[in-house]
Amino acid sequence: MEFGPHLFLATLEGAIGAAVLALMAVGLSIVFGIMRVVNVAHGEFYMLGAVIAWWITSLIGGHPAYGFLAALIVAPLIVGLIAALADHLVLRRINYDPERTIVATIGLLYVLQQLTLMTFGADARPVEAPFNKRLALPWFENGADGLAMYWPWGLSTTTYKLAVIVAAIVVLVALWLLMTKTRAGLIMRATQLNRDMALAHGIPVEKVYALVFGLGAAIAALAAVLVVPIQQAHYLMGGDPLLLSFIVVIIGGLGSIPGTIVAAILIGMSDGIISVFFSPTLAKILATLLVAFVLIFRPQGLFGKRIS
Amino acid sequence: MLNLNNIEVAYDNVQVLFDVSFDVKAGEIMCLLGRNGAGKTTALKSIMGLLPLKSGSIQCEDNTLSTLSAYEIPKQGIAYVPQGRGLFSELTVAQNIEIGLMVKGSNPAVREHVLDMFPRLRERLKQRAETLSGGEQQMLAMARALSMEPKLLLLDEPTEGLQPSIIALIKDVIVKLKNEGVAVLLVEHHIDTVLSIADRVAFIENGRCPEISDIANLQNNQAKIRGYLGIS
Ligand SMILES: Nc1ncnc2c1ncn2[C@@H]1O[C@H](COP(=O)(O)OP(=O)(O)OP(=O)(O)O)[C@@H](O)[C@H]1O
Ligand SMILES: [Mg+2]
Repeated sequence: MEFGPHLFLATLEGAIGAAVLALMAVGLSIVFGIMRVVNVAHGEFYMLGAVIAWWITSLIGGHPAYGFLAALIVAPLIVGLIAALADHLVLRRINYDPERTIVATIGLLYVLQQLTLMTFGADARPVEAPFNKRLALPWFENGADGLAMYWPWGLSTTTYKLAVIVAAIVVLVALWLLMTKTRAGLIMRATQLNRDMALAHGIPVEKVYALVFGLGAAIAALAAVLVVPIQQAHYLMGGDPLLLSFIVVIIGGLGSIPGTIVAAILIGMSDGIISVFFSPTLAKILATLLVAFVLIFRPQGLFGKRIS
Repeated sequence: MLNLNNIEVAYDNVQVLFDVSFDVKAGEIMCLLGRNGAGKTTALKSIMGLLPLKSGSIQCEDNTLSTLSAYEIPKQGIAYVPQGRGLFSELTVAQNIEIGLMVKGSNPAVREHVLDMFPRLRERLKQRAETLSGGEQQMLAMARALSMEPKLLLLDEPTEGLQPSIIALIKDVIVKLKNEGVAVLLVEHHIDTVLSIADRVAFIENGRCPEISDIANLQNNQAKIRGYLGIS
């Protein structure tokens, strides 16, 4: 393939990565923003989403779309409930102390990972996409007789991959509407801005925390359900997305949703493109370097506000 | 209406309140008076359930506040305007008031009533709280508290750092509330304000409450107030 079409293909793959990463990172970001909890177990909620999606689809027969649709609804619900329970049993007991929650969520990471290994095993599990039509993509070139369209060999994507991008955008817009236009969003933002005064206005802060922790985990699980027809479910799959989400959230500014989305697009796209042309390892090295520079020169993140 | 019974409060291991008892009667303005660091803010936070009691209890009418969760206390009809105002800084004026209204189920008539008390807020409904002037912020903090239609209002230095005309406005509002039957527990440093609106004064000194006095007994004995405030 020539360079132009090849770059286009890499960009498209990068956009899918960016869409999923944006979901993951936004989940991490709202948990940090509202609860001040750095959730190291976030990648495991993603992994659980994928594994549960496999489990549900393997239970439901018929057209793959039925199982997938069920997984899309049920997996985030189950994962959200598990997270809310973890909040209740673990985080609340240590009073959401910033340092102790890091240690606690590291513990949670291993508990979830090992429980999954013990119950579902170490095999990678595929999930069939609900629809998966191959789409050849055209390329335009300015030749001798003007602009010409042709169909380069290998330049294609699938309807499912495009649907992942659309679904991620829909979820992000829905989340933004929830936070800015609804009463629940107002309550969450008030809790974030001033915990004591939220309490003094009758807001049950601990319930809000359980809900936010569940919501963050459910979004990660949803991202995983979207990914699992492209990438198989495996009990160790949470590591890379966790690393990338941390990178995104640091670059975007902890707790800033718009910053997180912009950074996810930046990191997801460049990760995709560099992985195609060079190597995935180089992509991770560059992203990590970028984080180092951001931490040195703009510690509040590109879009975050300096905390005085 | 409100009774603090021998409460003891500590931050971690440092005890700040020792055996403090006082009460606020329905429809009166009770003033807490004492030097910086005496423990006035700590007492208000304890009433709101934001600090745990080491011992003692806090009673409001028939309910023991000190056994409730903090978020259940506003539902007993108690509103709190903290020192430094405690606004939801990134939310708008309208949203701050909305959060106050939610406690009693968002009644639009209450919202209008509160905005009528502070017309300057009505012009700034879409403005973020953090961009308001100091005086406007204090009005918003009061408006947000009044949106809860409280029976008891806790005010921690509501006139701190404000110009005389705004102090006068806030005093008017406090007196108006009293006349509507709201009990007010007021932390205040200005002697003139205390003498002009308070019914009783509870003195706080080094975390204790050694004396409660009717205002009538203080009008001719300002030296006592100065003594407790540490000004000669
Ligand atoms: N979060 C805290 N941790 C530890 N000590 C605290 C804390 N908050 C207040 N204190 C201490 O408790 C004591 C009483 O403080 P408090 O804020 O109640 O005083 P105050 O009477 O309201 O004073 P001011 O008139 O200056 O507002 C002070 O010695 C203060 O240093
Ligand atoms: Mg104080």
